[in-house]
Amino acid sequence: MSKGCGKLDEAGTAEIADERYPTKLNKIINLFESLPEDERRETLVSYADNAKKQEPREGENFDLVDVRKDEECMDTVGVYLHVDENGKAHIRMTLGPEVQTLTRAMASVLCKGLEGCTPQEILDLPSNFVTRIVGAELIRIRSQTIYYVLTRIKGICKVYLDRQRMAAVA
Amino acid sequence: MATHPTQYANPEALVETDWLEKHLKDDAMRIVESNEDVLLYDTGHIPGAVHVDWRADLQDPVIRDYISPEKFAELCSRNGITPDTTCIFYGDKANWWACYALWAFRLFGHEKVKILNGGRDKWKAEQRPMTREVPKYPQTNYPVPKKRFDKEIRAFFDEALAQSKSGKPLIDVRSPGEYKGEITHMPEYPQEGVLRGGHVPGAKSMPWKTATKDDATFKPAEELAKIYFDQCGVKPDTDTVVYCRIGERSSHTWFVLTYLLGLDKVRNYDGSWTEWGNKVGAPIEKGA
Repeated sequence: MSKGCGKLDEAGTAEIADERYPTKLNKIINLFESLPEDERRETLVSYADNAKKQEPREGENFDLVDVRKDEECMDTVGVYLHVDENGKAHIRMTLGPEVQTLTRAMASVLCKGLEGCTPQEILDLPSNFVTRIVGAELIRIRSQTIYYVLTRIKGICKVYLDRQRMAAVA
Repeated sequence: MATHPTQYANPEALVETDWLEKHLKDDAMRIVESNEDVLLYDTGHIPGAVHVDWRADLQDPVIRDYISPEKFAELCSRNGITPDTTCIFYGDKANWWACYALWAFRLFGHEKVKILNGGRDKWKAEQRPMTREVPKYPQTNYPVPKKRFDKEIRAFFDEALAQSKSGKPLIDVRSPGEYKGEITHMPEYPQEGVLRGGHVPGAKSMPWKTATKDDATFKPAEELAKIYFDQCGVKPDTDTVVYCRIGERSSHTWFVLTYLLGLDKVRNYDGSWTEWGNKVGAPIEKGA
C-alpha cells in the first residue's frame, strides 16, 4: 500500500495531511504548493492539456464504466475503473468538450495521483487537498466542479466495493 | 401591428471576427477576454488580447460590490488602456461574461466599448489565430473615474422592488425552471446559495440566450425587437430592469437592449436572484 492512504482527521496540519494522501498525489500537492500563482496557473493548464492522455487506451478492460452527464457539470464525464489482481485501482477518464479547464486539470491530477491506490483508499480520501492544488485565487462557486471529478471517482469506487461485498456474502 | 427596426440602433457596438482579425495590431483598441472558465484565457486567446477576470479584477474582494474607481483605473492602466482606447470584449458562452465586463467598464464611465459578435466560440470555430503569449502593453495613467454610474445603469434591491410594484418592465433572463421556482440553480451549475425559488412579481421570463443564434452571434434587430418589445412589453421610453442570479446573464440582455435596440433607460439589477431569493420578506411569485 502507498504510504499515506490511511485515515486521518479532516482538520489535520500540513504535516499530518501529507500522510493521508497517496505518495503520487502528495508529490503533486507539494509541487503546486511550491509554485507562485502564475506558475500554478501554467501547471494547471498543462495538466488540463494532458487530460486526453487519461482516456481509455485500446485493449484496456475495465471492471466498471460510468459515463454520464450530470446536472452539476457542463458536459459528459466518463469514469473507467480497473482493479488489478493486487487490488490496485487504475482510473481513466473521458471529458466532454464543454468541461471547464480547471475540471480537466483536476481529472488529470487525480488519474495520476491516485494511480495504484486501492478503491477503499480512494473512498477514504479527504477532499481538502483540492484547494491546496488549485489555490484560493481560482476557487469560486462556479468552479466547484473540481470537486465533482473526485466525487465521481469515489462514486465508482464505492459501487465497486459494494459489489465486492455483495459477492462475498452471496 | 408595430413596426420594428431592421438595423441595430448602434451597429458600431459590434465587430465581426473577420474585421477583428485584420485589426489585431490596431493601437487605438484593446481586445479584452472575459470568461466564466477561469483558466480558458491561459489555454489560448486572440493574439494581443488581455484578460479581465470577472471576479478577481472587477469585484471587490471583501464586500459584494464592484471595485472602486481607483482599482478600475489601476486595472486599465496595467492593461495599457486609456479613456480613448476602444475596448473590444469577447469571451466564452456567447459573450455572456464579455457583456458583464463591458457593463462593468460602462459602470466606470468607459465609453468606447464593443463586443466581438459570436465571441470566443465563433472565433475558434472559424479557426482564427490563437496564442498563449500574454501581451505586455506600456503602462498608462488612466484617470480615476469621478463616479460610478450606478444610478444610470445599475439597479439595487429597492429600485427593483419599486419597478415590480409600479408594473414597469422587469425581465428575468434566467432559465424557465429558475423563473418558475422549480429549481434554485442554473441547469448544469452548482447551487449558489439561494434559499427561495421563483421570480420578482411582475417579471417577464426571457432567457438571455433567446437573443443569440446557434453560432453565438446576436439575432437581427427585427427579431430582437419582437422578443423584447412584443413579448416582454419593453417600451423605448420606459425604465426597464433586467436580472438573473448575480447580474452576469442579465448584462448580456442589458447590452442587447441598450446597444442593439437603442434603449437608454435600462438598468441591470446585479444583486439579482441571489439577493432577492435570500432577502427576508421580499415578495416572490412562483410558476409560469
